[in-house]
Amino acid sequence: MFKREWRNLDKVMLGVTILIVCCSLCIIGSATHINQGVINYDFVVKQGVAFVFNLLIVLFFSRYDYTKLKRFAKPLYGINLIVLLAVMFVGTSALGAQRWIQLGPITIQPSEFSKLIMIICTAALLSDRIGKLNTWRSLLPIALFVGIPFLLVLKQPDLGTSLVFLAIALGMLFISNIKMSLLRNAAIVGIILAPIGWHFLKDYQKSRILVFLDPNADPFGAGYHIIQSKIAIGSGELFGKGLFQGTQSQLNFLPENHTDFIFSVIGEELGFLGCLFILFLYFILIYRGLITAKECKDPFGMLLATGIVSMWAFQILVNVGMTCGIMPVTGIPLPFMSYGVSALTTNMMAMGILMSIYMRQQTMIF
Amino acid sequence: MLEALMKKKNQDGRFRYLYWIVIFIFAALICRLVYLQLFEGNYYHGLADGNRLRAIPIAAMRGVMYDRNGQILVGSRPSFMVTYVPTKKKLTDDELHTLAQILKVPEAKLKEKMEKGKNSFEPTVLAQDLTQDIVTQVEERHNDLPGISVDVQPIRYYPYNNMAAQVFGYVGQIDEEDLKRLEGQDGISSITQIGRAGLEAYYDDLLRGKDGGRQVEVDAAGTPVKEMERKNPVPGHNFHLTIDLNLQKATEAAMDQQIANGIGTHGIAAVAIDPNTGAVLAMASRPAYNPNWFTRGITEKEWAQINDNPNHPMENRVIAGEYPPGSTFKLITGTAALELKKVTADEMIFDSGRHWLVDMRNAGGEALGWLNFTEALAKSDNVYFYEMGRRVGIDKLAEYARMFGMGKKTGIALRGEASGLVASEEYKKKVFNQDWYLGDTFNSAIGQGFQLVTPLQAAMIVSEVANGGIQYKPFLVSRIDNLDGTPYKIFAPEQVGTLSVSKSTLDLVREGMRNVAEESGTAGSLFAGFPIQVAGKTGTAENYGGADHAWFVAYAPYEHPRIVIAVLTEQGGYGATASGPIAKTMLEEYFHVGAYADTKDSSKNGNASNKQQ
Repeated sequence: MFKREWRNLDKVMLGVTILIVCCSLCIIGSATHINQGVINYDFVVKQGVAFVFNLLIVLFFSRYDYTKLKRFAKPLYGINLIVLLAVMFVGTSALGAQRWIQLGPITIQPSEFSKLIMIICTAALLSDRIGKLNTWRSLLPIALFVGIPFLLVLKQPDLGTSLVFLAIALGMLFISNIKMSLLRNAAIVGIILAPIGWHFLKDYQKSRILVFLDPNADPFGAGYHIIQSKIAIGSGELFGKGLFQGTQSQLNFLPENHTDFIFSVIGEELGFLGCLFILFLYFILIYRGLITAKECKDPFGMLLATGIVSMWAFQILVNVGMTCGIMPVTGIPLPFMSYGVSALTTNMMAMGILMSIYMRQQTMIF
Repeated sequence: MLEALMKKKNQDGRFRYLYWIVIFIFAALICRLVYLQLFEGNYYHGLADGNRLRAIPIAAMRGVMYDRNGQILVGSRPSFMVTYVPTKKKLTDDELHTLAQILKVPEAKLKEKMEKGKNSFEPTVLAQDLTQDIVTQVEERHNDLPGISVDVQPIRYYPYNNMAAQVFGYVGQIDEEDLKRLEGQDGISSITQIGRAGLEAYYDDLLRGKDGGRQVEVDAAGTPVKEMERKNPVPGHNFHLTIDLNLQKATEAAMDQQIANGIGTHGIAAVAIDPNTGAVLAMASRPAYNPNWFTRGITEKEWAQINDNPNHPMENRVIAGEYPPGSTFKLITGTAALELKKVTADEMIFDSGRHWLVDMRNAGGEALGWLNFTEALAKSDNVYFYEMGRRVGIDKLAEYARMFGMGKKTGIALRGEASGLVASEEYKKKVFNQDWYLGDTFNSAIGQGFQLVTPLQAAMIVSEVANGGIQYKPFLVSRIDNLDGTPYKIFAPEQVGTLSVSKSTLDLVREGMRNVAEESGTAGSLFAGFPIQVAGKTGTAENYGGADHAWFVAYAPYEHPRIVIAVLTEQGGYGATASGPIAKTMLEEYFHVGAYADTKDSSKNGNASNKQQ
């Protein structure tokens, strides 16, 4: 029985994920200077332990019948709202945002888990509505459904995660055969409303967008991240400076280099070839996800897989784009790569679910 | 069923879209990476190096200036400075406030300097020449003051403060204009000191040396992690000046004494020259300033003291001050008259107190009776020289003045030299559009009217008389050394002209000058009993703005001249009383004259005050 499961497991996806996380551990090590004498294995060890533990979660989720998740959608949605509200009142603040909850020794970032919960809930909601999304009216409940947690996260403030919510919803709506004209009109309205939204942004968010347009406006302030990150990546050139050899990250010119800006370290130390390799791994990941979604006969499973793929693709685009200066800085981590136990766990769970969908697909065939 | 199938097909289409969107995302990212890493990689590599590599300049020692006996006149000494390099962590207003308090510099000024260095990775000097106490305070707070560090560098030092300030000049911190001017030159850094005046400016290229530097790898906080490369600075060339330190000191002390005596003067120029070479033995101008002020960053109060002084302490009066030569010009008038055979040594001319053609008189209104050439020169009789001027004529007078070097720069290696002016018919016509009258010739003959000389020119004119008509270019630097002490350049005496005047003429002029310092002469009482035979000439130049300017020019010893002196005391009145004592002190110092018996009773003679000018 175990043997059959092994046969049905998406080994490519599992292998790719393990490879990415291994790279991640090396890079986190480099970014946190484990080579510089001062014993600072905290980050690597934490992430490594979390990863081993998460592999069990993947195995658990891959054997778990994902269709049962649909039943939990409503309670999960409720829990999600409660936790997000809780963050606002008991959360720990850092970098001007309230995003963390302290549970004993562990710091949890609920907005990470929220992404997965939103995928499950939205999939459950949309699975009965495929092909029925032809009018504004039909979109209203969905807008409310996504809008409430979206606003709560935005309020933390965590613009990045709230944008991920939108991306997930958009991807799933698209696959749910939403009428294209609706999407188009929504986009137009969005563009028109953007200047109004500008006023709701915090000052630091505004300056991030301003420096995205012109990083040199404030080279030692808001523009510092972008400039230093571009220097790091660019200076890596074709072959990179070698692991542990990146001057930008080793000499601390590059802040947040083990979390949001980890890709800059890859660019600097492993060069263009390293970047290409990592992006190739991500592409396989996304591609396998898309195949899984497409082949799934069950609408709920298909939407789940689409949501997960949308989440990853969007995060990769925004994170890598941010590090090389074609996207504004929004605090979105790179899946499986950035340091962060909550994020890693969320992504591993998502991976488990994806595998479960894939496996059940195979089982049905045979 | 069919509907479901259609839907599924529709969905496949959507997946195909999604697939292409993903391809597009990856393609976009890869394109961006190709651009950043492959096309612009080199550029960003440079920026990364710019981040981590910091060139910390090491200032070169400017060349030392020695006097003719090897005494140090201008040197360098170590100085602590505080520099700033922008880092990620900015100085807060509180920290800036603390720093300003420690350094005793206004916050606004610090801010301004930091603003200038905002985008530079080279350190900006915030304050220098700090005491050990201040340095300790800054170092103690090193961790609270991001980007601030302490450095030791040599700075210029003038051990004798005001002495010869206008000759040596001063140095200042390099500025943007200098950087533009010196772009591409080796050894220039943000802490280079640039000569701003005097010899410091004129020979800046040689004195400056080449700044070196250390290239260190720093982290984002600006803390050096390791030294990558070191380039040692190259000191500037050492200079040997022709200045005689003791003579210079004595000269300035005598000048200060005269000012302290309260004779109403504020500006004095004095210069001593070796008539056999043109070497400048001493050169001083009052009022002066302290060049050390500039080296360590001049305070506003000090600057006001210099800048608001109506007597321009920065001006080197010896080369830049133009004054009517007054009676000292009679040397030229007399030479011309003798040489052109307009008068003989023995011809007697009667001074009735006024000239018989134009009613122009002696300054004191006196009449000196029958006079020959040397007597007229010794007593500086105006009527006699009016007549000489009339006989020579203004054109020839101007020609002789030019021959002696008036009206053109001597060519000394200093900036800002004035050329003086030779009175001539053309000049009056050109500038005033007026005809020339005999009275103008009279005025010109006694060094008034349009005639102007600088004290240095006056000294050179005397030098020519003293050495038999050789015109040297005055010089201040005798040798420039290489680093190893071998000569880089040796300045030999440079002859720029010769007076076409016969020996007998010059002998007569010299004799007249000797008589000036003898019993009957205008400076007779001053040099009464002086053990060295001095030849001189007093002058009192009319100054339309106030009291007369006082001249005294001299050379000594009479037989074998070794030194020529020119002293001008602005608004000092009589040459013999205002400028004479300074010249006398200089001669005493130069010839190491000790105490001597004053053989004449000067109060009885009172020559200096009776005689004309």
